[in-house]
Amino acid sequence: MEILHIENLNFRYPKAEKDTLHNVSLNIGQGDFTVICGATGCGKTTLLKLIKNELSPAGEKSGEILYNGKNIDSLRLRESACAIGFVGQNPDNQIVTDKVWHELSFGLENLGVPQNVIRRRVGEMASYFGIQDWFRKKTDELSGGQKQLLNLASVMVMQPKVLILDEPTSQLDPIAAADFIATLKKLNTEFGITVLLVEHRLEDVFPIADKVLLMENGCVLLYDSPRVVGKNLKKINPEHPMLKGLPSAVRLYNLLSSDEVCPLTVKEGQEFFRRNFKRNIDFSDGDKSEFSDKSDAAIELKNVWFRYERDLPDVLRGVNLKAVRGEIFCILGGNGTGKTTTLNVISGLNKPYRGKIKIDGKKIKDYKGNSLYRKKLAYLPQNPQTVFLKDTVSGDLEEMLKAMEYKKEEREEKIRDISEKLGITDLLTKHPYDLSGGEQQKCALAKMLLSEPTILLLDEPTKGLDAFSKSSLLAVLKKLKSDGITVVMVTHDVEFAAVGADRCALFFDGEIISSDAPNSFFAENNFYTTAANRIARPLCPTAITSEEAALCCRGNGEDNG
Amino acid sequence: MKAFGGYHPAVTFTYFISVLLTAMFVWNPVIQLTALLGGIMFSLMLVRKKAILSDMGFYISLFLLVAVTNPLFSHNGVTPLFFMNGNPVTLEAVIYGIFISVMVVGVLFWCKCYNEIMTEDKFLYLFGRIIPKMSLVLSMALRFVPMFKRQMKNVSRAQKAMGLYSQKSYVDRLRGGIRVFTAMISWSLENSMELSSSMRARGYGLHGRTNFSLFKFGARDAAVLLSGLLLFVVVMIGVGSGSVDFTFYPELGKISLSLKSLITYISFFILSFLPFFIEVKENLKWKYYISKI
Amino acid sequence: MKKDILALLSLALIIAVLIHGTNIQSVDEYYLTHIDDITPQSETVFISIHCDTVLQNYDELDKALQSDKYVPQNGVILPETEYVLRPGDTVFDILDRAVRYNKIQMEYQGADKNSYGSVYVQGINYLYEFSCGPLSGWMYQVNGEFPNYGCSKYKLKDGDRIAWVYTCDLGKDVGCIWMGDETG
Repeated sequence: MEILHIENLNFRYPKAEKDTLHNVSLNIGQGDFTVICGATGCGKTTLLKLIKNELSPAGEKSGEILYNGKNIDSLRLRESACAIGFVGQNPDNQIVTDKVWHELSFGLENLGVPQNVIRRRVGEMASYFGIQDWFRKKTDELSGGQKQLLNLASVMVMQPKVLILDEPTSQLDPIAAADFIATLKKLNTEFGITVLLVEHRLEDVFPIADKVLLMENGCVLLYDSPRVVGKNLKKINPEHPMLKGLPSAVRLYNLLSSDEVCPLTVKEGQEFFRRNFKRNIDFSDGDKSEFSDKSDAAIELKNVWFRYERDLPDVLRGVNLKAVRGEIFCILGGNGTGKTTTLNVISGLNKPYRGKIKIDGKKIKDYKGNSLYRKKLAYLPQNPQTVFLKDTVSGDLEEMLKAMEYKKEEREEKIRDISEKLGITDLLTKHPYDLSGGEQQKCALAKMLLSEPTILLLDEPTKGLDAFSKSSLLAVLKKLKSDGITVVMVTHDVEFAAVGADRCALFFDGEIISSDAPNSFFAENNFYTTAANRIARPLCPTAITSEEAALCCRGNGEDNG
Repeated sequence: MKAFGGYHPAVTFTYFISVLLTAMFVWNPVIQLTALLGGIMFSLMLVRKKAILSDMGFYISLFLLVAVTNPLFSHNGVTPLFFMNGNPVTLEAVIYGIFISVMVVGVLFWCKCYNEIMTEDKFLYLFGRIIPKMSLVLSMALRFVPMFKRQMKNVSRAQKAMGLYSQKSYVDRLRGGIRVFTAMISWSLENSMELSSSMRARGYGLHGRTNFSLFKFGARDAAVLLSGLLLFVVVMIGVGSGSVDFTFYPELGKISLSLKSLITYISFFILSFLPFFIEVKENLKWKYYISKI
Repeated sequence: MKKDILALLSLALIIAVLIHGTNIQSVDEYYLTHIDDITPQSETVFISIHCDTVLQNYDELDKALQSDKYVPQNGVILPETEYVLRPGDTVFDILDRAVRYNKIQMEYQGADKNSYGSVYVQGINYLYEFSCGPLSGWMYQVNGEFPNYGCSKYKLKDGDRIAWVYTCDLGKDVGCIWMGDETG
C-alpha cells in the first residue's frame, strides 16, 4: 500500500530561472525506508519540505502530493502536524525549550492534549529512546547525538506515520551518527514507520534502505532498491559525481565493472573481494618516508599538559606531536579525547600549564601580539560560520586584507586570485549564511588563506560535506600542500584521512598513541579503519581505499608486488 | 535530602511567602528567634554542613555589625549606658540592634532555603500558569541564552585566531566586541528561522494549546498547604489582635505570655519548623527502610 | 562577594564613628552640668518645655508612650525656669543645659548632619518627631514668636523667654502660622 504518492511535481522558487523540481513522480509504500541522495542543489531538501506541508517554501508549485490518497494541502492542520514528522540538520536549532521533558511534551502541548495523556506518552517515549537518565536535564547540557535523538523523540511522541529527515547525522560524530541511524531503522522495522532520509554519508544507510532515490538537477535519476541503484548508476553516467559517495563495497564493485549482484555491506564486500581477488600488493611501500620525525618541524609539541580549570581533569596529558613542513597531518580519534583542544593549544587560544610548543622552530610565547596570525598560522574552526562577520563574502575577505595592510588595488587583486583558486568567484556577493556548508567552508578557507599562512589548522573540515565537496576540499588541500603549506587537521573522517593525509595520528585519552603514514597506520588498526580496508583486510591488509582494493583484484601487474 | 522540595511548587511557594512575611513584619523577639532557629535548622537539612559552617563567619559578623550599628545612630531609650558626643547609647537601642540582626540573619537563612527549593523551573511553572504564553517564552529564552553565549565565544575565538582584532587597548577590544555582536544578530535571525520551522512542524500555532508540567498536586500537597495556611492564619489573627506586640522604645516592653500570644508563638513555631519536621521524618523513614532491607 | 559586603559595611561603620568623634562620657559625667548661680548682675533667660497638644491627640500617640512618665497629665515637661545667659548662648545651648540639669532625655541631630546647618531636636523626654501622628514634632518659641531658623543659630539676649512646644499638626495647633503656610 502506498502512503505517499507524488505525481508530476514541479516547483520553482520565486524569481528563479529554472525549476528546482521537475516532473518528480514517486510512489512511496507504507513502511518503506527510502534514502534520498544527490549532489548539493539537486532539490532533495526542497522535495522534503514540500511533503511536510508546514514547511513548504513559497513558490510556483504544480502536480500533486497525496498522503493516504488525500492531497496534503487538504489535510487538516492538526492531522498533518501529527502524521508527518520532520527532523532537520542542525541538532541545536530545532530545540525549542530549555528542559528535556518540556521539549518532549512541546508537540503534544501544541495539539492541546490533556496533561495526563501527555505524561503517559512522554514517559513512554523517554523509556523507548532511553532518555530517562537525562529526562530532567537542561537541553543545553546534552551532547550533539543526544540532542538529535531528543529531536527525533519529540517528533515521535506525536505518533507520526511518516518521518522525513534532512541530513540528520551531518553534524554528528560517526558513533552518534551510527546510533541515530540504528534508532531510525528500529523505528522502521518495529513500527512500520515510513522513513524518508536525505543523507550523504551512505556507508551506513545504503545497506538498510528499502529504496534509494537518486536525484539530479531536480529530476529523479534513479529510484530503486540499493543494489539496483549501485549497479545502474555507472551505466547511466560513468563519471557521475555521486559514484564517489557510494559505500566502499559498491565503489569496489563499480571499479571492477562487475556483473554480479552488487555488494552493499562490508561483509558482502569481503565476499565479493575474495571472489575477485588476484594478488596481494603491499601499499605501505608506497608510503615513502618523505615525511618522518627527522624532517624539519613546522609544529612541535613536547609533553604538553592542559586543563581548562584548576579543579578539572587534564584534557591533554603529555602530548608529543611533530608536524613536518609541507605535509598534511591528520589527527584522528573519538569525541572528547582532546583533539580540538590540541589545535587550540597550537593556535595559542589556550595556554598549556606544562610543556613546550614551537611553531617554525620558535617558541609560541615569543610570538608577540598578532604576529603568530600574520603570514604564519591560520586556524579554521569547526563551524565556518564563526569566521564571518560581514554581510558579504567579499566584505569578509576585504577585512582580512585590511588587517594585512594592503592597498586597495592590491586587495582587489588578492581577492580575485584567491577566489579563482578556490572556485568561489560566484559567491563573493552573497551573504555567508546563505551558502551551503561546502561553500561556507571554502569561503572561510579563503579568508584564512589571505593571511598568507605557512601553517593551516583545520578542525573537522569534512563535517556536513557531501562527497563532491569533500573531493573538492581535498583538491584544494593538495594544492596548498604543493605551495608548501603545512596542513594539520583534526577529523573523525577516516575515509578522508586515508586519501588525503601524508601521516595520520590516533589521539586517545589526552595524548597521541600512534602515528604513521596512512597505509601502515590503518593496516595496524583493526577496528579504527576505513570500510575499504575492512573489506580488503583479510587478503590485503595495506589496501585502505576502494581504488587500492580494486588494484588487488585487477592484478594486471601495474605494481611491483 | 530534599523531601520538602518534592512538594508541589504552589505549596512550597505559599509556605515561604507566609514565613517570610511573618519574619519580616512581626516585631516580636519570640517570633524572630523562632524564625531564625527554624531557618537555620531547615538550611542545615538542605545544604552541606561544611557550606553552612563556612557561611557562619559571614552571618556572625553581619549579626555583630548590625547589632553595633544601631545604638550608634539611635539614642532613644530610658536606660543610657554611656554618652557619646552628647548623645546617649542606650540599652534599648542595643537590644533593638540585636533584634534587627536576628531578623536580618533569619530572613537571609530563609532566602537561602528558598533558593535551594524554589528552582527556576518551579517558579516558571507557577507563573506560567497565570500567563501560559509567558512560560513558553521564558523557557525558550532560557534555552537560547546559553546557546548564544557559546556561539559568541566561538566567534570571538575564531576572530582572535585570525588576529583580526588586537587586544592591546580597551577601545580595540570594545570595537571587536561590537563587531562580533552584530554578526551574532544575523546568526540569531538565521537560527530563529530553523527554530520556527521546527516549531511549526510540531503544530505550534494550533488552537487550544495545553501546558504540561512534571508537577502533580497530590493529597500530601494539599495537607501541607492547608496546614501551612491554617497556621499562618492563626499567627496573623494573633498579630492582628495585638497580642504579640512588643515595644523597644523608650522602654523595653514585656513579652506577653497570655493564652492568645502563646497560641500565636506555638503556631509560628510549628509553621517555621514544618519543613524541618518533614525532612527529619523522611530521613527516619529512610533509615527505617534501610534497616529493614 | 559576601566578604566584600562585610568589609564595605565595616568600613562605613568605622568612617561614621570617626566622623562622629569618640567623646565618650559616663552617665554621671554627662548629667553633671555646672549651672551658674543667678546673681542680680547676671543676664538671664527663661525656658519651658510643653507637650499640651499631645493630650488633645492622645489616640494618635505611640502606644508605648501612653503613660504619665512620658506625657505628664498637665502637659508640662519643664515648667518655666530661669537660667543664666552666658555670652553667645543660643536656644540650643540653654535647652541642652536645662535638660541635662533636670535629667530629661533629649536626642538631637548635630548641625553637620542636616541641610539646615543647625542642630535639629528630634526628641525630648522620649517624645519624638512623628510620635503623635505624621505631622508631629518639636518647635521652639522665643518671646511668643516662632523663629524661622534653627535653634543653634538663634542668639539670645537678656530676658528672652524660650518655650519648646510639641506640635501634632505642623505648628498650626500651637499658633505658628508660617509653617502651615509654607507647606500648605
